[in-house]
Amino acid sequence: MSARGLTAGQPSRVMVVSCPELRDPDQSAPDQSAEAARQHERVIATVTGFCPDVEVVEPGVCAFGARGPARYHGGEQALAARIAAAVTGLGVQARVGVADGLFAALLAARDSAARDSAARDRDPVTVIPPAGTARFLAAQPVSVLADQVLAGQDLAALLYRLGLRTLGDFAAVPARDVASRFGDAGERAHRLARGLGSRPLAPRPPPADLSVAREFDPPEPRAEPVVFAAKALAERLHDGLAARGLTCVRVQVLATWADGRESSRRWRHDGLLSAAAVADRVRWQLDGWRPAPADGVDGWRPAPADRAADHDQHAEGGVTVLRLVPDQVVRATGQQLALWGETVPGDRVARAAMRVQAMLGHEAVLRPVLGGGRNVPDQVTPTPFGDKREPRLAADRPWPGRVMGAAPGLVFPAAREAEVTDGAGQVVRVSGRCELSAAPARLAVRGEPPRRVTGWAGPWPLHERWWDPAAARRRARFQLVTDDGRAWLAVVQDGRWLVEAGYW
Amino acid sequence: MPRPYPAVPIPSPEGGVIPPVLPVLPGLRGLLPRGGLVRGSVVAVAEFGLLCLALMAAASADGAWCGIAGIPEAGVLAAAGLGLDAERTLLVPAPGPAWPQVVASLLDGCELVLLRPPGRAPVQVRQRLEATLRRGRGVLLVAGDWPGAPVRLRVVTQRWTGLGDGHGRLRASCAEVAADGRGEAAMARTCWLWLPAEDGGVALAGPRDFPDGLPFGIPAGDQPGTLGAVPALQAAGG
Repeated sequence: MSARGLTAGQPSRVMVVSCPELRDPDQSAPDQSAEAARQHERVIATVTGFCPDVEVVEPGVCAFGARGPARYHGGEQALAARIAAAVTGLGVQARVGVADGLFAALLAARDSAARDSAARDRDPVTVIPPAGTARFLAAQPVSVLADQVLAGQDLAALLYRLGLRTLGDFAAVPARDVASRFGDAGERAHRLARGLGSRPLAPRPPPADLSVAREFDPPEPRAEPVVFAAKALAERLHDGLAARGLTCVRVQVLATWADGRESSRRWRHDGLLSAAAVADRVRWQLDGWRPAPADGVDGWRPAPADRAADHDQHAEGGVTVLRLVPDQVVRATGQQLALWGETVPGDRVARAAMRVQAMLGHEAVLRPVLGGGRNVPDQVTPTPFGDKREPRLAADRPWPGRVMGAAPGLVFPAAREAEVTDGAGQVVRVSGRCELSAAPARLAVRGEPPRRVTGWAGPWPLHERWWDPAAARRRARFQLVTDDGRAWLAVVQDGRWLVEAGYW
Repeated sequence: MPRPYPAVPIPSPEGGVIPPVLPVLPGLRGLLPRGGLVRGSVVAVAEFGLLCLALMAAASADGAWCGIAGIPEAGVLAAAGLGLDAERTLLVPAPGPAWPQVVASLLDGCELVLLRPPGRAPVQVRQRLEATLRRGRGVLLVAGDWPGAPVRLRVVTQRWTGLGDGHGRLRASCAEVAADGRGEAAMARTCWLWLPAEDGGVALAGPRDFPDGLPFGIPAGDQPGTLGAVPALQAAGG
């Protein structure tokens, strides 16, 4: 192999950037995998800043031809170190490997990941010199072939059982014997083990980063200039999306404060928000980020008009970066509202609800959906504002066994503990055959003085989900009227009395 | 005597004129000085209950958005039975210490906000919320104490029918509701209501509908027929 220039069949130098934490995002948590996907995009964008022709090998791993960029940046080691630093700056751990051919470079990047953590933190870069690739490969265990060729897992296991523990051992087997014994896949693996046959890179430009950002130097302590900048940013974002015929389902607003903290919130967009509306949401988000006044009085600003003077100082020292990121970019297909059936909240209502959501969180503003069910609390499903409205239990079923008659005005979010006693002061018990030990005479809801029971009805038994031991429950329901004119829905479950609802 | 119905029409931002009061169910008109909830004002109800939900029902059915803040136990099913449109209702069960901001924000979007403040609201907070109200066109319905509220309502006494000694089910409730307040609502008035009636709505009742005769709360002099404001109230209700 000549020291300079290229010769036919010689693999080119390849640099691989690998982010192990982005490779296997937890699929069970969709939010987390979406976050990993976004991080991945940002990593790719960063690497693209060093070399435009980047191939994304798999999630969290990309590769590019190292020769040109390395010469420009002053050597492979220097380039790798700079890329590693840039990616680590995004908050993602990166490993960089450089070697002859994609396969060896991938192994080199993985190798630097596999070293013990102390060494890893010092040097995330592994550069295999051009002459050293064969030796580097020879020392690798055959198990690295597992995901490289068809049925690689079986092949690696077989090689191991045959006593070929490293790629070097495997490479020493004559190619002809490998082909006759292991077939096509084996031959491919053999070529890889000899440092040949790495497929050429197929770079494609990653999709353009459509997010827009604005830096504030010095940090901006007042909200108004940030909101003003947000409007211009939103216009740029919309222009960028519209030029590609795209729209986004949500827009993420990321504000970084001078002390390094980040405020991030996603707002429903659906291509419906104007630039001013996006700016409004930035304002709410900044408002919500301000620490809540302790007594709820002094820090409160009633009207938007008073606001400019009020935002004198943010405790956090001001905003340094404001970034708008389109989330779930989809083709813009126009907007068609439902013809009938659903009440679409108007602009004013949506603004009000989202403002409260900005203060208290997405789950804090609910729209009730009426549904079916046997128990009173089941019959209303509160859904967060902006989410799909669907009852937990369908309303159009008969639901035998539910309490009929007037609906209670108060449905306690958690049933309140109570005690129902008979005339002798003994707790009223319900037998398995729904027989009462005595007529209820007193109701004492925990935390309140006891009341005299003037009328009652029940027990109405309910045995739910008996086929599912975890969810099964048997309960007997009562309606009680007490001497203060109030009525209660009381339940006996597992021998305990609970008050589920109040009628007044 | 209550003043005649429309005072000054309010021009709406979309053009046109919006009525100066939000409608209430016919049975409740007699309790309120202008036969409805005057926009920009506070109506205080002593305690959360069906009365609060009934006051919201007609406005909601009429197309207004309603917000309910600080009342996690609000029975939406009962409210829907009274006429509240659940689709046009926002619930903020736990507004937290920033509840004045939450209510002010809700009042931006909803015409009617039912609030149960945590404890007694400080006077500055009340004044600021009232100022916000006057600028907008909403009504703040407070379940609890709100000193200086122009209209105050409370359920004096209530009795359910339909439940016997071990049989029956709750059917309807007859309640005596008292109203007083300041200004044009200063004259105390009482009203007998089916709250709810057997069909789930609200209907006018009389003291004679009260199950088991007269309740304990009524002084001897206040016998049926001599109830203070009944004639005036019928004039307003008609």
